Amino acid sequence: MGDTVHARIHALLYALAALLLLGQAGWHYLAGEYTRILLPAMLTPVVLTAALMRLGQPETARLSAYLVLVTGYLLVAMELPGPSSLAPFWLGLPPMLTLLLLPLGSAMLLNLTLTPIWLLLADAWLTPDLVLGYLALVVVAGLAPWEILHQRALLKATDPMDEECDAMRRSALHDRLQSECERAELLGQRLAVLLIHLPQLEMAREQFGSGAHRALLSALCDTVASCSRDHDLLGREGDADFWLVLPDTSESGALLVRQRLELALQRRVLLDTGQLEARLSVCCLRPEEEPASFVRRLQARAPHAA
Amino acid sequence: MQSKYKVGLLRLNLLLAALQPALLAPASASLTEALLLWLAAGWLAVSALLVEFSHRRPALVPWQLLPSLLLTALLLTAPERFPLWLWAWAGLVMLPQPAWMSALNLLLAGLGWGWLARGMAPEQTLLSGALLAGLLLLGLLRSRDLAPLRGAARRRVHLVPGMRLWPRAQLARDLARERARSQRDGVHGELVLLRTGRRRFWPQAQRLCELTRRFEHCYRLDGRTLAALLLSRDAEQAARRRADLLGRLGPVQRLRATPLAQVVSVSDECRALEQQPGSTRFPKEGGHG
Repeated sequence: MGDTVHARIHALLYALAALLLLGQAGWHYLAGEYTRILLPAMLTPVVLTAALMRLGQPETARLSAYLVLVTGYLLVAMELPGPSSLAPFWLGLPPMLTLLLLPLGSAMLLNLTLTPIWLLLADAWLTPDLVLGYLALVVVAGLAPWEILHQRALLKATDPMDEECDAMRRSALHDRLQSECERAELLGQRLAVLLIHLPQLEMAREQFGSGAHRALLSALCDTVASCSRDHDLLGREGDADFWLVLPDTSESGALLVRQRLELALQRRVLLDTGQLEARLSVCCLRPEEEPASFVRRLQARAPHAA
Repeated sequence: MQSKYKVGLLRLNLLLAALQPALLAPASASLTEALLLWLAAGWLAVSALLVEFSHRRPALVPWQLLPSLLLTALLLTAPERFPLWLWAWAGLVMLPQPAWMSALNLLLAGLGWGWLARGMAPEQTLLSGALLAGLLLLGLLRSRDLAPLRGAARRRVHLVPGMRLWPRAQLARDLARERARSQRDGVHGELVLLRTGRRRFWPQAQRLCELTRRFEHCYRLDGRTLAALLLSRDAEQAARRRADLLGRLGPVQRLRATPLAQVVSVSDECRALEQQPGSTRFPKEGGHG
């Protein structure tokens, strides 16, 4: 959902930029500067195309960012050599635009390679002070997207929940499974794991888009939550594979849970994909089995093969 | 490993960034300008020292606010020297920040633009204003990207990657579940609160995580209070484990252990820890109450 909203806002912004370009061309016409009309007038359809492309597939969306970037570059490049005293002011625009539109790595590379070009274009104003100021802007502004990447990586390393659904991440799942194995051994309890595979998941994204994909995931997580106890743990082992860890549960208990869950899942009918299909199988911790070998056994046992 | 590497690079970049205003400072026209540039360099250098890959020290609001104020002050005192820095506002709104701070940043960006626009022709004023607004909006979108994730996730994340230490909000949720579970399993569960010094907090937190079993969770309640949910076969074993834990953990200022069945709420327990007469209080000695 967030992605499509972003795409729309970006497209709207690009469209507004096209309007601005048209306005600029009109202004030059009114002011009688006929030689300066051509560039904004020519760039208007380019930016409009970018606005439309932003709404398309991810590849075309990425291309649209480059179109807007080139437009911005050309406009600033026309402005810089002029007699106006605003040249140093416009010099700050291209590096910021690059950082906003491109991912950090390519943006920094582009900014640093283009530095001499921008500075030469503004050579009427070139002083060591301006060079330093420009470099400071490039380096300091690059810290902002970096901080975002840092925060996101940190969240990924510390948040136990999956980004897409209400299940644990793989690393957290393995961690909790291991601790539950230890607890079961200490208390002399049984432990069972229900392996769940969603065969429709990949197809749902390809055919119906990310909305159907998310609906399928949340239907599974909701149903599992309503069919399991408070301390049962649902984790996402692979893209379409989930493990439901059932502490203090014998094999017959786990089979009962499986039956109940199968029934509940069959009753879920989704808008795009229809009846929810799931393949379930049960695997139990053997007495005195090492957690690592139990995990290996679980991984070897893909539910669709069972 | 990979993340540590990235933090090292980020630190290097912060130090590089700190170098720039420091180089610019000597050529300043006025003392205020030089002072502001040195402050900016200082902020970046200290940030470089503080940056790390954990939630141990979340950025404080005044600290986050400082660059915005510095940029405003620089644009106001030396508009002819750093006009290109006006565009840096798009970077500042991009940072993850609370909504009111985004609003304040937008306001300050508008102020900076108004100040610079005094010397511009009207059409340039309009054009630059529209472009700045567009860039600010793009920056805001980038920061909002992370916001929904942060809000819900902050209450459930581990505080340090790889360490079993959880935030206080998580304890309230785990408490009810662990109470029901230990009752059903017939094991003796207890909530142990530990008060340590601020300096010793992180080493002792690390030690506590190492000394407890993998399925016993540890929590950070505030800057100097740790909590752990300990599970033992019976009260006797629990007392032995507690003594063992205390012996290996090193000195703590206060300690309180309460069986899970008697815990009403986390805040009640914290208050009781604050008010208890002795430095340690175990369930058997004082009884309940």
